[in-house]
Amino acid sequence: MSTTPSTYTLPVGPMHVALEEPMYFNIQVEGETVRSVDLAAGHVHRGMEALAMNRNYFQNVTLTERVCSLCSNSHPATYCMAVENLSGLFVPERARYLRVIADEVKRVASHLFNVGIMAHLVGFDSLFMHVMEVREIMQDAKEGVYGNRMNLGQCVIGGCRTDIDADTAAFLRGQLEQLKPQLDEIHGVYERDPLIRARTQGIGLLSQEEAIRHGVVGPVARASGVVYDIRAKAPYAVYPDLDFEVQSDTRGDVHSRALLRLREAAESVRIIEQCLDMIPDGPIAVSGMVTVPPGESVARTEAPRGEVVYYLRSDGSDTPQRLKWRVPTYMNWEALQVMMSGCQVADIPLIVNSIDPCISCTER
Amino acid sequence: MFPFLKIMVRNLIQGPATDPYPFAPAHTPAKFRGCAVHDPEKCILCGICRHVCAPGAIQLRPSEDGSGMQFALWHNSCVFCGMCAHYCPTGALKMSTNWKLAHLGEERFDNAIANFIPFGQCAECGKRIQPRPRAITDRLGADNPDRFLLCPECKRTSVARLATEERRSHTQETV
Repeated sequence: MSTTPSTYTLPVGPMHVALEEPMYFNIQVEGETVRSVDLAAGHVHRGMEALAMNRNYFQNVTLTERVCSLCSNSHPATYCMAVENLSGLFVPERARYLRVIADEVKRVASHLFNVGIMAHLVGFDSLFMHVMEVREIMQDAKEGVYGNRMNLGQCVIGGCRTDIDADTAAFLRGQLEQLKPQLDEIHGVYERDPLIRARTQGIGLLSQEEAIRHGVVGPVARASGVVYDIRAKAPYAVYPDLDFEVQSDTRGDVHSRALLRLREAAESVRIIEQCLDMIPDGPIAVSGMVTVPPGESVARTEAPRGEVVYYLRSDGSDTPQRLKWRVPTYMNWEALQVMMSGCQVADIPLIVNSIDPCISCTER
Repeated sequence: MFPFLKIMVRNLIQGPATDPYPFAPAHTPAKFRGCAVHDPEKCILCGICRHVCAPGAIQLRPSEDGSGMQFALWHNSCVFCGMCAHYCPTGALKMSTNWKLAHLGEERFDNAIANFIPFGQCAECGKRIQPRPRAITDRLGADNPDRFLLCPECKRTSVARLATEERRSHTQETV
């Protein structure tokens, strides 16, 4: 890259940007202003797609759950959907409700985490601590219902593993009741606090045209006026029967993305409550072990960060011939070049965090 | 102006939100997925746990004298997913609520389950078969308890004998 005397290259990363996940930026700056951004990826490549091709269909449920910690239910759920699509399995209705509950519980926790980190990057650590403490309500719910704070282990091929009985349903409802007023309060703080607003409003702008051009997904797209949510566009599980609103905004800055995540978290709480009300009795998984015929299949779901796509090819053996997935951050991080052009150096972590990057998903 | 001040004051009054562990017990939910426990009395050496174990923490190794199998599960390789317990047909493997797994570095290979499971014997010819513990015969072999205790060959013979006997009686009836 050619450098004129007035610009110089600022290396950012691979450690420390926003989420303490390795991502390397070569940033051309002129004074304090960013002129261009170059991304270098590959620091946490673990060869998970190759690992998946060396493990059988059952082992891959556990493997895909460990692709990413914050969307650790979306990956096995989508993988199981791909396997079920290929083998023509019908997941029992109760299991489909349970999967939605697990997905939405994870979504609430994931969004609160991202929004909390934003407060940390603004330098508002007391708010960060508060949001993380509120998130603990959901972490306790996960631990109490599923047995683990991050990896729920809820999905298996053909259904779910953990049933929600009367006790755990009451416990989960209690946690949601605790969470609801706190979520409202946090939304109010993020909306009105002068410190948050001064640091995040009008920063990292992504217009609707640019959002479409880069094909961004998830909250990043929805905050830029692209109302695209797989739960509504291509409903899976029991989403067609649920009443929920896809949140959207048109401002497309860091602030609007954070507020949108908080509104989505509140919407997720409503979805969980509906599921707990509507869940029918019945089996939670198909009985017996599944065999996967040769062929190809695709499944997609809405993870907290956006659309997750799984592609599976089977040759009829007990191991996938190819398992490939595309994660939302892959679509979103290219748009960072648009969001970061012309921004201040101090705003780089905030903008990176606003796409809620998951490097371990993307580089797997 | 500063909407957070109210929350901050409230949090200050409430005091710490963390558990005082290790000075007081930490809360462990009843459904907590802790380290796996193995009951050798119920194990039938089917191997499904090893089949579904993604990190390869489970090993089934024939013993030197050939009288049984050595079951091993290394807690340090285990990722606590609980798939083994989920697919275990007899409930021999379970996830306990025990999460206190800190140990010294030199004990890293000893921090494991090591159980010897002897083979069973065919009730007819005495040939070596998978173990048939009482807890299992009652459940899995409930349909045909006698045949459940046979080796595959004796089982085939017994099924064939039964089938021919049935046909014989059937023929007698129709004639």
